[in-house]
Amino acid sequence: MDGHGARLNRRGAVGRGAAWGLAVAVPLAFLGLFFALPVGTLVARGFWPDGALDLSGFVEVFSRPRTWRVIGLTLAQATVATAVVVLLGVPGAHVLYRRTFRGRGALRAFVVVPFVLPTVVVGVAFRSVLAPHGPLGFLGWDGTFAGVVAALVFFNYAVLVRTVGGYWATLDPRAEQAARALGASPLRAFVQVTLPALVPAIASGAAIVFLFCATAFGVVLVLGGPRYGTVETEIWVQTTQFLDLRAAAVLSVVQLVVIAAALAVAGRARSRRERTLAQGSTTAVERPLRLRGPGRSAADGAAVAVTALALAFLALPLVTVALRSLRTPRGWGLDNYVALGTTGGPNALSVTVWDAAVTSLRIALDATVLAVVVGGLVALVVSRRPRSRPLRRAVGVLDAVVMLPLGVSAVTVGFGFLLTMDRPLGLDLDLRSSPVLIPIAQAVVATPLVVRTVLPVLRAIDSRLHEAAAVLGAPPGRVLRLVDWPIAARSAGLALGLAFAVSLGEFGATAFLARPERPTLPVVIFRLIGRPGAENLGMALAASVVLALMTATAIALAERLRPGVAGDV
Amino acid sequence: MAGLEVRDVVVHYVDDDGRTATAVDGLSLDVAPGEVVALLGPSGSGKSSLLRAVAGLEPLSAGSVAWDGHDLAGVPVHRRGFGLMFQDGQLFPHRDVGANVAFGLEMQRAPREVRRARVAELLELVGLPGFADRDVATLSGGERQRVALARSLAPRPRLLLLDEPLSALDRALRERLAGEVREALTSTGTTAVFVTHDHDEAYAVADRIAVMDLGRLLQVDPPADLWHRPASRRVAEFLGYQAFVEVGRASVAVREAVGVGVDVEGCVALGPGSLVPDDDGAVVGTVVAAGFRRGVTELDVDVPEVGRVTAVVPATRADGDAHRPGAQVRLRVEPAAVAVLPE
Repeated sequence: MDGHGARLNRRGAVGRGAAWGLAVAVPLAFLGLFFALPVGTLVARGFWPDGALDLSGFVEVFSRPRTWRVIGLTLAQATVATAVVVLLGVPGAHVLYRRTFRGRGALRAFVVVPFVLPTVVVGVAFRSVLAPHGPLGFLGWDGTFAGVVAALVFFNYAVLVRTVGGYWATLDPRAEQAARALGASPLRAFVQVTLPALVPAIASGAAIVFLFCATAFGVVLVLGGPRYGTVETEIWVQTTQFLDLRAAAVLSVVQLVVIAAALAVAGRARSRRERTLAQGSTTAVERPLRLRGPGRSAADGAAVAVTALALAFLALPLVTVALRSLRTPRGWGLDNYVALGTTGGPNALSVTVWDAAVTSLRIALDATVLAVVVGGLVALVVSRRPRSRPLRRAVGVLDAVVMLPLGVSAVTVGFGFLLTMDRPLGLDLDLRSSPVLIPIAQAVVATPLVVRTVLPVLRAIDSRLHEAAAVLGAPPGRVLRLVDWPIAARSAGLALGLAFAVSLGEFGATAFLARPERPTLPVVIFRLIGRPGAENLGMALAASVVLALMTATAIALAERLRPGVAGDV
Repeated sequence: MAGLEVRDVVVHYVDDDGRTATAVDGLSLDVAPGEVVALLGPSGSGKSSLLRAVAGLEPLSAGSVAWDGHDLAGVPVHRRGFGLMFQDGQLFPHRDVGANVAFGLEMQRAPREVRRARVAELLELVGLPGFADRDVATLSGGERQRVALARSLAPRPRLLLLDEPLSALDRALRERLAGEVREALTSTGTTAVFVTHDHDEAYAVADRIAVMDLGRLLQVDPPADLWHRPASRRVAEFLGYQAFVEVGRASVAVREAVGVGVDVEGCVALGPGSLVPDDDGAVVGTVVAAGFRRGVTELDVDVPEVGRVTAVVPATRADGDAHRPGAQVRLRVEPAAVAVLPE
């Protein structure tokens, strides 16, 4: 090697180092400024109310019976909902991912609809189902614990089905077949061989479901009324209604602890799963679903029954909202949709619903670009396996840190924005009135989902594929461009769709940040259901249908770009 | 010195718990231009690690790798101009067959026409003419490996490293492809290091075979020399020699057959086929087991003072009871299958 070449190499290494440094710095700066700073400031306000550390807030807040009731309710709702989701979701994963039948693709897509529905819409949907005149009104669940749990189950069913199903579909069926050949009954083979293999996937999925349930905001705010809430809604109540920042800060810390625990469980389960997957075989076998004749099985029958019940449960609120949006005081008609061009009843809205829809689309577009750039960079960095151990550790830490916004209350983020963005980093630049703040807040919320969608695909690329390209003469940059990018690009489509859907429906942070003259669609819907009158409710239902259709369209477009491999939702 | 020079190379692995394992332990090897060397050794002997170190994919803990006298330290993988072929091909899933083969040419910024011609030429060479537009997912295992071979040869690497390229294939295909790989390498004049744990494959492909164990080289020789003159008992055992007798204690028949005097220091090694049933044979053994293998009968024979040796008999229909376990057989010594070890 002559000196010229060595210099070239050194220059290449320095350039690469700088590029990776940038890839780490951009997301860290973004999340630091727009996540850590606002959340940290809010928490600090609670503990350092007058510039001195004051922990009496903890004592005071924890001595309130109300605090304990909210914490207990949060844990109880999340636990019960997670248990129900697991019981319904495992059979669903079996039917939708291990059996083939006509219409399976459509059903798989349908299952995702509730998850991407804006939380406010889910709240409205359940209210119309559980209301005294609704189809399930006879249960008397309106405004009860059961009602909240039902909505949480509705919202999270897809998370478990997709996490467990995606894993189950790649599970080598020969272990179970070996157990059967050794004399185990189908039930024993399932319980002793398949189920233990599924535990990591179930644990990972359940932890994520628990996380979403424990931090649910829009659904609980709409359904729970004054009696049922989560720590998240309580933070909102304490800050906006009682202006008690100290209580909000304490509750934020409580939530952080709960979330960190759930994320740790999920992370551990996931790493175990990725390890088993790496060793697993690819000879996945999907069998046609047979409910009659030879080859039918009682287990399949039971799984189909449970899944059919679950799907009916998912469909009911959607159908109810759609139907009720068409009901007017004078019978069936499109009056509610016509009213979307108005500002509603007296004092209801400051803009028409269509204006709000346009605002929502614009903001979601900006937020999506931000989230995909930041999340894509994070996924890229985290998917690397550096040779040095300290670097490998650092990558692991980054992986965990960017997941935090998934769990930290969007309400906390939104309120933190209001506290910090008047003078961000001491700059004389009041961002609070700036229209860029909402897309930024939504991007913070959507970034972890982008990472979780793209990362498994990047990680699944065999490192020897990179080596093959390098040996054939591709410098590191071209390996990225010619190997990783084309493979990951297809999952980038799904990430785009998810980020767009999440931004469209984002409510927690937006509720704080949206200016009255430029509200987003979820904000408008929430305002409409808070106003009395059948006219406003009808408009809210019609607006919910519009929002749901916008979200479903985004996801449907993204699904078409989806690769065969299932990532985590 | 031209070609590849590996000098005192040490490769360490550090696992996630911080434990260090030595995969290659002070190894030296030369490969002349145009030569095909097989690295033969049991699993875990460090063959693949050595190959990856030569390619620049593993850092050296000590020693040096040089090409044509230029030390390659600090030269990144993509500038070494070497090729590497993996056991499972590692074809790019998002590129069709032609684009896979063309990848290295694109890296060299070869014009489109040149690329197209070279791809066609290489696909012809590996027996897949007209496959350029095929999706790699539709290929069989053997076809994938042929494409991988074409892809590695396309940019005319100075040195081609093949990491167990045929191990994932079934036996018949492996045997056929071993011949074809040899053909492809020699007809293109490619210098190559071929890692394998399959003896027959090594004999079929290589000009010289390097036997590797525990991160070190035990012997490097042309196939016939290696087989007839193993350098040590360990090499002989690895090659399949079964019984070892000190020259001084070997029977006259054995000594005479290989032509060594009783006073020679060393050891006689008997391989499979070193004893052939012969009614006039000087050696008597007891049949322990008999087995049938593709056209021959293999007798596991216990010979006093020697041990168990496999005797090979061309299978005839008349054999019948003669080789039942427990039967006594007379055997003659086949000198070509007996080696004298210097220890």
